Amino acid sequence: MNPSQHSQRPPGCTGVSRRTFLADTGMGFTGLALGAMLFRDGVRADSEGWAPPTGKPHFAPRAKSVIWVFLCGGVSHVESFDIKTELNRYAGKSISETPYAGVLATEGKDVIGANPAHGNRKVILPLQTGFRRYGQCGLPVGDWFKNIGECADEIAVVRSLWTIHNDHGAQLTWQTGRHPRELEHPTLGAWTAYGLGTLNENLPEYVVLGTPTGDCCGGTFTYGASYLGPENGGVRLNTDPKNPLPFIQPPAGSLSAEQQASNLSLLGKLNRLAGIDYPDDANLRARIKSYELAFQMQASVPETLQLEREPEHIRRMYGLDDDATRAFGEQCLVARRLVERGVRFVQIFHGGGGGGAWDAHSEIKSNHTTLARQVDKPVAGLLKDLRQRGLLDDTLVVFGTEFGRSPGAEGSGRDHHPQAFSAWLAGGGVKGGVQYGQTDELGFHAADNRRYVTDIHATVLRQLGLDSHRLEVPGRKRLELDHGNVIQEILA
Amino acid sequence: MPSPRANSPGWMPLLCLAVLMSCLRAGAIPAHRAALDRHYDRFLAHPLAACTTCHKPSSIQAPESLDEFPHNPFGNRLRELGRDRNAAGEKPELITRLKRIAAEDSDGDGVPNEAELLLGHNPGNASDTPNRQELATLSARQSEFAKFLASYRWQPFAPVVRPAVPSADSGTAARNPIDLFLAAEWQRRGLTPRPEASREVLLRRVYVDLIGLNPSPGELHAFLADSSPDAYERVVNRLLDDPRYGERWGRHWMDVWRYSDWAGWADGGQVRDSKPHIWRWRDWIVESLNADKPYDQMIREMLAADELAPADPDALRATGFLVRNYKMLSREQWLEDTVKHTAQAFLGVTMGCAKCHDHMVDPISQREYYAFRAIFEPHQVRTDRLPGQLDTTKDGLPRAFDSTNAPTYFLVRGDERHPRTNDILSPGVPAAFGGRLEIQPVNLPASASQPDRRPFVIRDTLSASEQSVTTARSELERLRSDAKSTRAQRTEAQLALDIAEIKHAALRSILKAEAGDSGAATNAVRFQRALAVFEAELKSHQARIKLDTAATNAVAEARKKSTEADQQLAAAREAAAKPLTAAYTPRPAETFPATSTGRRTALAQWLTQTRNPLTARVAVNHVWLRHFGRGLVPTPADFGRNGRPPSHPELLDWLAAEFMQPSAAASTSTSTASGSGTASQQAWSFKTLHRLMLTSAAYRRAATPDAADLAADPDNLYLWRMNARRLEAEAVRDTLLQVADGLDLVRGGPDIDQKLALTSPRRSLYLRHAAEKQSEFLQIFDGPSVTECYVRRPSVIPQQALALGNSELAITLSRKLGTQLVEESRGDASILITRAFERILARRPTAAELQSCLEAFTPAAVSESIARTHLQHDAENLVLVLFNHNDFITVR
Repeated sequence: MNPSQHSQRPPGCTGVSRRTFLADTGMGFTGLALGAMLFRDGVRADSEGWAPPTGKPHFAPRAKSVIWVFLCGGVSHVESFDIKTELNRYAGKSISETPYAGVLATEGKDVIGANPAHGNRKVILPLQTGFRRYGQCGLPVGDWFKNIGECADEIAVVRSLWTIHNDHGAQLTWQTGRHPRELEHPTLGAWTAYGLGTLNENLPEYVVLGTPTGDCCGGTFTYGASYLGPENGGVRLNTDPKNPLPFIQPPAGSLSAEQQASNLSLLGKLNRLAGIDYPDDANLRARIKSYELAFQMQASVPETLQLEREPEHIRRMYGLDDDATRAFGEQCLVARRLVERGVRFVQIFHGGGGGGAWDAHSEIKSNHTTLARQVDKPVAGLLKDLRQRGLLDDTLVVFGTEFGRSPGAEGSGRDHHPQAFSAWLAGGGVKGGVQYGQTDELGFHAADNRRYVTDIHATVLRQLGLDSHRLEVPGRKRLELDHGNVIQEILA
Repeated sequence: MPSPRANSPGWMPLLCLAVLMSCLRAGAIPAHRAALDRHYDRFLAHPLAACTTCHKPSSIQAPESLDEFPHNPFGNRLRELGRDRNAAGEKPELITRLKRIAAEDSDGDGVPNEAELLLGHNPGNASDTPNRQELATLSARQSEFAKFLASYRWQPFAPVVRPAVPSADSGTAARNPIDLFLAAEWQRRGLTPRPEASREVLLRRVYVDLIGLNPSPGELHAFLADSSPDAYERVVNRLLDDPRYGERWGRHWMDVWRYSDWAGWADGGQVRDSKPHIWRWRDWIVESLNADKPYDQMIREMLAADELAPADPDALRATGFLVRNYKMLSREQWLEDTVKHTAQAFLGVTMGCAKCHDHMVDPISQREYYAFRAIFEPHQVRTDRLPGQLDTTKDGLPRAFDSTNAPTYFLVRGDERHPRTNDILSPGVPAAFGGRLEIQPVNLPASASQPDRRPFVIRDTLSASEQSVTTARSELERLRSDAKSTRAQRTEAQLALDIAEIKHAALRSILKAEAGDSGAATNAVRFQRALAVFEAELKSHQARIKLDTAATNAVAEARKKSTEADQQLAAAREAAAKPLTAAYTPRPAETFPATSTGRRTALAQWLTQTRNPLTARVAVNHVWLRHFGRGLVPTPADFGRNGRPPSHPELLDWLAAEFMQPSAAASTSTSTASGSGTASQQAWSFKTLHRLMLTSAAYRRAATPDAADLAADPDNLYLWRMNARRLEAEAVRDTLLQVADGLDLVRGGPDIDQKLALTSPRRSLYLRHAAEKQSEFLQIFDGPSVTECYVRRPSVIPQQALALGNSELAITLSRKLGTQLVEESRGDASILITRAFERILARRPTAAELQSCLEAFTPAAVSESIARTHLQHDAENLVLVLFNHNDFITVR
């Protein structure tokens, strides 16, 4: 549908009569065009001199939707998208014995909230996987991510990221830009839902797939909307069509769909009758609409999850034919189906719960081999599938993690490393085949074009046509760092 | 592009600072600027709310002294005056000085200072002067400004002065002074107030507001039938005396005071936030409200019960207010939260802003922030034992106490890594709020400093020790009567009994010695040495058994161990034979300081003085917000310049004055004919305050719209009608349970696992609530944020429909209530529908509603048994529909 329809505020309440109230709300199940807009406005239009977002982009968007893949626990940057061959050359030596001893100086590079239990890994661990160059751009990619490597000309790698916390609370930082100590703040997905609203009244604007970050490290805050209100928070869906979100279906055998429809019909009548005395009640209108959306979701959500309808070759692209890749492949495929149906922001967690599965303090070789196998093919399949459908032009895919892993060894593993890490973006107006920013020769510090987490946020919002400054809510002053800076260099 | 901040350590505190840099750093300059802004308010053109109104423009980035940033003639004149007034011993308040030089012409450009300011020109710069056209508008502007000055100037940081109650207009249906204050605004704005709400609407409104539940159909009918003039007032009084009131308002205050159960890992193995058993503070809140404990006393107990009532475990529960801020991972964050939220909850000011720099708009300097923090610097939290339970992980009393003497340093830019160690702050409160702390150190009784010496701890320790003797004895007896037991087993059990007995004897002697019996000390040493011998004997016995049964290849090792054990036994015997001393090993018991700094007591006293400008204003506003759906100050946690001004400043001040010092006038007009003995007139009484608000005509008004009023005041700022409100999450769940007769009204006790929200019949405030431990059902209805929740923000989202339509809770209750309705109505559909409306929506259906429901019911069936099955089915569906009805979740 045309997003500009969302730009209209509901008509002023002044002089609303009983008759127009009944006419306005009497649209039944089908007339949902005003639905999302009403339930956003109905509860928030209470501030003088301020109006909630209209749902219209602030400038021409390059992307309609975002698929935000997040790997929990901290993926090694030096063995994935920021290959550091010097680690092989100086393997077993202390960093201070190498020509790069200078990286140990922390002056001007320290990290707030460092956990003293981590860090200080000085003896260099060689690369635990091979690598090769891919595509015309010649991007070196670790062998753990061969399939994504094949898509090198589609992606822009940002190799100069840093973050502010040396423990897995940095997972929350990746979503909100804030230190985990500061608890809940709106996530990028919430800002997107808040700023743009929906393209499909039958589905939520912001959907969460996979097991989110554990309670230790942000929990529900990692997909929450904080002060933007729960209507902008991520709605968790399981990929199991039988139980995709809380209370999506009544307990088995308790209520038939026909009965629900007839209840909804009576409810609509009663709510409209009771509203006659309160014709200006925006909340009542919003509630009537939201009940109808909820009813629609009972059907639309399970329909979206019916992956058996996909042809076999598509299912294979996502690795649904393989036990190792099936779970994550299903999430990637559901993400595509959600985006196709107009969902704005799909957030996929991999390896969630606890500190995160990628947290390879020991045996990084077997850890990353196993986990990368789960995600590599499905993510590459997602990129290829979006491309062949023409969806990659207006779908932005982001592949990230909370921090990198230390160049120095922690036994057979690598420690947390917030001083440097990598993420990549693809589609949605981002240039392919780009390597942006650099770490030093050991991958210890982000060196050239250092970028903070919120610079990724700013870039995503820019592609969606949003200016985060204009989304600010009265009484909720944001810091400049929260807004971040767009990484112009990777934009087409 | 590289971002420079990425390389700067401590970027976070830095961010708020940049804006300060254009101003002089020394002195309370932002406060001066704020005073200028406050005096001229909207009459001050934006560019004049700046440093350069009083200073010459400077090119220096961050001038450090007046030499670098000198005054202009206007600023000079203000400064001279300040010096004179100081010398004369008068307060050099900026506003007084501004008035004094209003008619002077400091820069000599021929236009007086105030005229220049009002016209948007700099009074200290002769080259910036109004032109002729501008001067032509001066007199109109001056008269507007004079009108503004004459209006009620709300000064939240000045003590409350009781405003006069406006006189009654003949046309006003005023029930008490609240209505007179409101009427004054209606007259000014041409608004016509709505009539009183219907009795059904009114009854449910007051029930939900006071107890968070519906009236029963019986209560509804009794009220409808009661035509006495004080029927409503009697309902108000009855509900205020109902213990469910404390639960309802307890939850409100738990929002403001940031109640949180503990959070962390491993079932209490690692407590990261708050503390286990903090529910005792929740129970204190509920009980205090039910007892109508005065608010000033509640504040004193929450901040300082450990100093004011150190031997009273009931009062100590109140310090949960402080315990709640406990943060294992960061003492800095812990103290930061304590400072920020103490200030915000009681004073309604955002003191947290002054952590890194002087507050930009409110008169709180960064130094004052750290002085305020110094009040809390010495405090820590601990869990005291309670009678009957020695293990504080199982039960206990979490509480605050003073223990450390850590200094409070000024932290440069709020950065804990950069303390100014030569700059130690003494405890204090912001000067702008008036008054000062009167700090007296407090001597604590032994029960507080040596809690393990309290009689009940001694009793419990003794009885636990006796219990181990009994257990050891019965084990021995069991083995003796067991034919299959071995001699070795029996010997071992005998030794275990000997050990338990001698331990018990040692404990008794230690306790006597603690009480000052010096002979007992020697006995304690004797028993402790004997205990060492018995324990060595047991080990030697065990080693010998192992040797006897060892496999051939393990004999050598077992023999070695047995020999060692024998040697240790010999050593123990030798030690026991030495001359006795009095140096026994004391029992493990914690000791705490015998004095407390008295800082928090002083803070509590300062907060609860009637001349404190904010405490009462903030509290009455919180209560108003929860009765009228919007605070008189719309930002209940910010009464400063960043907050929003009150819609009715005089009313707010009058209510604050009334709260602190009730007047006879207000009480006679409120307790018209109730004759209730509960209409107490004590100061700081919440129940009196509720009664005052609830018996106003304003509260009783209908929420229906009026086209003319809507046009003039669409947001109902001036309360020409009542605001409709949505039930809070807890009220949604509690009322669902209640209307199906499934609510368990047991009060208090440990927090209930939040995962039981759909099956537990207890009220929602008892469900566990902490970071990462929240009921999904409640959060869907915008349950409180654990971090801060000064005001609830109700949403309308589809998940709510799914929860009310599909959840196990809704379905189970619909069946239960459906069955009850079928029985009550004896199969009559109309009666059934009417009863369903009365129970769920607390009102009768209209004829049209009844008709719509009847149409949805299954048509008459051939047989009565089939009809009954249909009716049950229809009743359940009707209940589900009404659970989802807007009138269920809305208070009109």
